[in-house]
Amino acid sequence: MNRSLFMGGIPGTMSRRGFLRACAIATAAMGLPMEMVPKVAEAASDPKRPSVVWLHFQECTGCSESLLRASHPDIATLILDLISLDYHETLMAAAGKQAEEDLEKAIERGNYLLVVEGGIPLKDGGIYCKIAGKKAVDILKHAAEKAVAIIAIGTCAAYGGIQAAKPNPTGAVGVSDIIKDKPIINVPGCPPNPHNFLSTVLYYLTFKKLPPTDKFGRPLFAYGRKIHDHCERRPHFDEGRYVEQFGDVGHRLGFCLYKVGCKGPETYSNCPVIRFNDVEVWPVSVGNGCYGCTEPNFWDTMTPFHKRLPNVKIPGGKGIQASATEIGKAALGVTAAALAIHAGVGIAKRLATGSKSEE
Amino acid sequence: MAVYEKKYVWSILLRLFHWTFAPSIFTLIVTGLYIHWPWTNTWLEGSHQFTMAIMRWIHFIAGMLFTCAVIARLYLWFFGNKYERVWDFLPITGRNIKNLFSTLLYYAYLTDHHEERLGHNALAGTAYFFTILLAIVQFLTGLYLLYPEGSLFTSIGATLFGTQQVARFIHYILNWYFAWFALVHIYIVVWNDIKHPEGLISSIFDGFKFAKKEQ
Repeated sequence: MNRSLFMGGIPGTMSRRGFLRACAIATAAMGLPMEMVPKVAEAASDPKRPSVVWLHFQECTGCSESLLRASHPDIATLILDLISLDYHETLMAAAGKQAEEDLEKAIERGNYLLVVEGGIPLKDGGIYCKIAGKKAVDILKHAAEKAVAIIAIGTCAAYGGIQAAKPNPTGAVGVSDIIKDKPIINVPGCPPNPHNFLSTVLYYLTFKKLPPTDKFGRPLFAYGRKIHDHCERRPHFDEGRYVEQFGDVGHRLGFCLYKVGCKGPETYSNCPVIRFNDVEVWPVSVGNGCYGCTEPNFWDTMTPFHKRLPNVKIPGGKGIQASATEIGKAALGVTAAALAIHAGVGIAKRLATGSKSEE
Repeated sequence: MAVYEKKYVWSILLRLFHWTFAPSIFTLIVTGLYIHWPWTNTWLEGSHQFTMAIMRWIHFIAGMLFTCAVIARLYLWFFGNKYERVWDFLPITGRNIKNLFSTLLYYAYLTDHHEERLGHNALAGTAYFFTILLAIVQFLTGLYLLYPEGSLFTSIGATLFGTQQVARFIHYILNWYFAWFALVHIYIVVWNDIKHPEGLISSIFDGFKFAKKEQ
């Protein structure tokens, strides 16, 4: 495949045009006016590059991958040019003892931005994730001590992610469950949009503080609005045109994916606006509903992914689940039957003993 | 022959509460189930249909009325007449605890003794109490879903329930509770009205019940 179709340049080199373009996209994503582009560009081209320590814990490196393999290389290049990436296990040349030394040196120098990717297990003293013989939770606490701010990239670092899904065998949690005394910003998603990460970094470099966030610690510029309210299929929702099942006529005509379990109505993210991979796609545009991957505990609350609501655990049953509708209908049916029996008993009693009602 | 006298029990505000609450619940269940699972198909593009938006619009208006009704009932819990106040029917006094058990036995046809009470019996009162609490959860989740961005309700909703999906789930489960409650409530009211000539059903229209006159 001719990758140059989507490439603005060879990674490592960046045109002035590409640089300004990326700054303009990031400025727009942050919800800032265009007058701010020069300021953002200035911050981005500051020769004093901030030191960044990037830690990996329980994760799949998908967040790093999505950042680096963005079809348009300018984002990755810009990020790597913006910052002095002093420690990143999958990217750095150093290995083994040398790598650990780099980390220690970076931590000693202090004044760095800490990026965390992956959940942190706490169960049984946190033994389920170890790097160089040290527990993830200890590495995080140690690295967080001298960090100026922490960015939790991806849903795992933000809220625990897939390893925190029930029954959460390793007791995985997000960064903000452990570190309480540092400014932390969550950039969730599975993976998050690289633009949102870039914008968060640029916001920090431009204003020297983290952007305003919602209740779940997510930057409002990227996670302030619901997917449903910006979705290109929204008119089909309002007018009652739905995909009944994948592959049907409605699906081919691009109708709303609500009935096949799209979680757009309960998920906050700018996916429909900023889209992915510079080729203007996102899940809904290619015919699959949103999975709600930017929401805390989405593996528990958003599954089954192709149903509207999670199943209900039946109390007392051993993991038996049923849909809320089935349970609601069953409860109504049983109650109606019970009431009919009650009425029947009353009538039978009256027939047997004669009318008891007061005169 | 027993002689009955007319007694004023339910104030106008309580009756207004009831007749706002009940139809709004009916409307909310019908439109809510549609919103959960839109069963009509309008596979015509460029037509004038606006089905889901209209259902949602009706649902929101009914939800606002529901919320107002709940607030009115909460007010009456503390400032209503003596039959409407919460301590008249909650099983927190000896009289009410006794009444709770005697009502249970009576409803189960295990005793013929029926305690005369003008207000709610303790069993009904307890059920209404929890229903109002669940109604508060219902309108808070509803307002959270309706105002998803940066309002007071977003803040309350995210704090109490977490994500929108959790709020939606609770909102949907409670929909079935209210359907269940309506069914049981109507049955028991009719059953009581048949058993006793106290004018239970008409009391929610005109406010009067009938009590045996002391002779």
